[in-house]
Amino acid sequence: MKTGNLLEIKDVSKFFHGSAGAKYQVLEKINLSIEKPTTGGIFASIISPLDSGKSTLMKIISAIEKPSAGEVLIEGNIYNKPDGTVVYIPEKPSSFPWMNVKQNIEFAIEVSKNPNKKNNTKIDEIISAVGLTGYEDHFPHEKSFGFRFRISLARALAAGAKIILIDDPFKSLHRETKNEIIQLIKNLSTIYNQAILFSTSNINEAVLISDKIFLLSHRPGRIFKEIEIDCTKRDEQSEYIASVKNEIEKLFQNHDKIPSFA
Amino acid sequence: MKKPAIKKLHRLLLFYLLLWIILFEFILPANNFLPKPSVVLLSFDALWRDYKFPVNFLATISSVYIALIAAYFIAQYLSPIIFRKNHFLSEFLFSLHWFSIYIPWIIFGIFLIYWFPISPIIEFIFLLITAFFSLIIKIKEEASNVQKEFIESAVSLGAGENIISRKIIWKSIQPKILKHTILLHFNLWTLAIVFEFIKNGYGLGGIFRMALDYKDLSALFAVSVITGLFVFLGNSAIKFYRNKFCHWSLN
Repeated sequence: MKTGNLLEIKDVSKFFHGSAGAKYQVLEKINLSIEKPTTGGIFASIISPLDSGKSTLMKIISAIEKPSAGEVLIEGNIYNKPDGTVVYIPEKPSSFPWMNVKQNIEFAIEVSKNPNKKNNTKIDEIISAVGLTGYEDHFPHEKSFGFRFRISLARALAAGAKIILIDDPFKSLHRETKNEIIQLIKNLSTIYNQAILFSTSNINEAVLISDKIFLLSHRPGRIFKEIEIDCTKRDEQSEYIASVKNEIEKLFQNHDKIPSFA
Repeated sequence: MKKPAIKKLHRLLLFYLLLWIILFEFILPANNFLPKPSVVLLSFDALWRDYKFPVNFLATISSVYIALIAAYFIAQYLSPIIFRKNHFLSEFLFSLHWFSIYIPWIIFGIFLIYWFPISPIIEFIFLLITAFFSLIIKIKEEASNVQKEFIESAVSLGAGENIISRKIIWKSIQPKILKHTILLHFNLWTLAIVFEFIKNGYGLGGIFRMALDYKDLSALFAVSVITGLFVFLGNSAIKFYRNKFCHWSLN
């Protein structure tokens, strides 16, 4: 069934089997959707306490992991075989240290089966878009976390991703680099009209940059609230932002009985 | 090894050399512990003629290096199978590892000497199998430690199993495999010499056996020095290759 949504997650549950044969549930009937961005991309986030299954959910959306139940739809079609349409950027740096910047991007083009993937003539354009011009021959292991994150973003663009999933991206970044990276992601999602979905345990971060926030409860993870952010009122010092943050904290306290987690 | 450590080692080696020359050439009388340096120099000529050093040396060195290089490339070629869990070939190869834990590998060489006529091919096969098993066991062990983020990000980009094996897992473990190859290189030299010694035929092990039979201490000493020198050069070549082509560090 075709829908107007770019991403739709229907009743996704996930169980893992422990070493002693015990079965434990990480995700329980997750339902969420992100509509197709018209212009300017869309920025959504999943907030949850630590160890609530955010990464598992992201891996299921990108088809790296299979759900125990339920399905993931991209533009109305079941997405269960990764092809570069949904690109997952893990929390730890994942740019390949044996490839330089250009080779990392070429790799993404080579392996992506996505019809929207870029061709090799666009590599310079992508490198420029992520701010790595002049560093084409540099290797990621010689550089900072921020540099390596830019390579991961460049690969996602090269693969022609419609959705980029970013797993807790700002944990290891200091404030200045974090702001730079946030601005970069926002610019890229606007230029390439992409949906960015990132996971975090930091309410402040999520409220300041997202258009839409999903609250994921502690294990087994369930989406228990969806919040739309009014972007026109967004300002770090504004009362509106403070009230949204308070509301989220209260929702978590009431739902998970956890005093604070961020 | 860091450069100051290498310098220190070189200085130490030079010190031992000088100590040996001073003690055994000028101070101590002729003895059965170490030969006089001047006698060792003279024995090089005898090594060349009487012990047929060039042919024997070539036999050993070619067996060691051809086996090592061939095993490395065969293991690399088969690595996608080795990485797979529950593949029958992978499981079979790995099960043989069990024998090598409890039975010293040289015993396999003794059986080969017993089963087959003396030939350079048998020594080569022995070394090739040794190197191959050593490498695949290391590959299998290291493959389970590959940073999972590399694999996950490659999968989400659309990479298939074969590309992940060759371009992600292999590349990820390559520096550690090359580090292991340095140790393996030394072990192959040892096994080759012991094999040749037992077999009592050509090769450096054959020279050691003959020199022992003749009680020729200076020849024993000279062959030991030459062997050490070539093991050192081989090690340096592998390290050079590793630094040049596997410059990344995953630690």
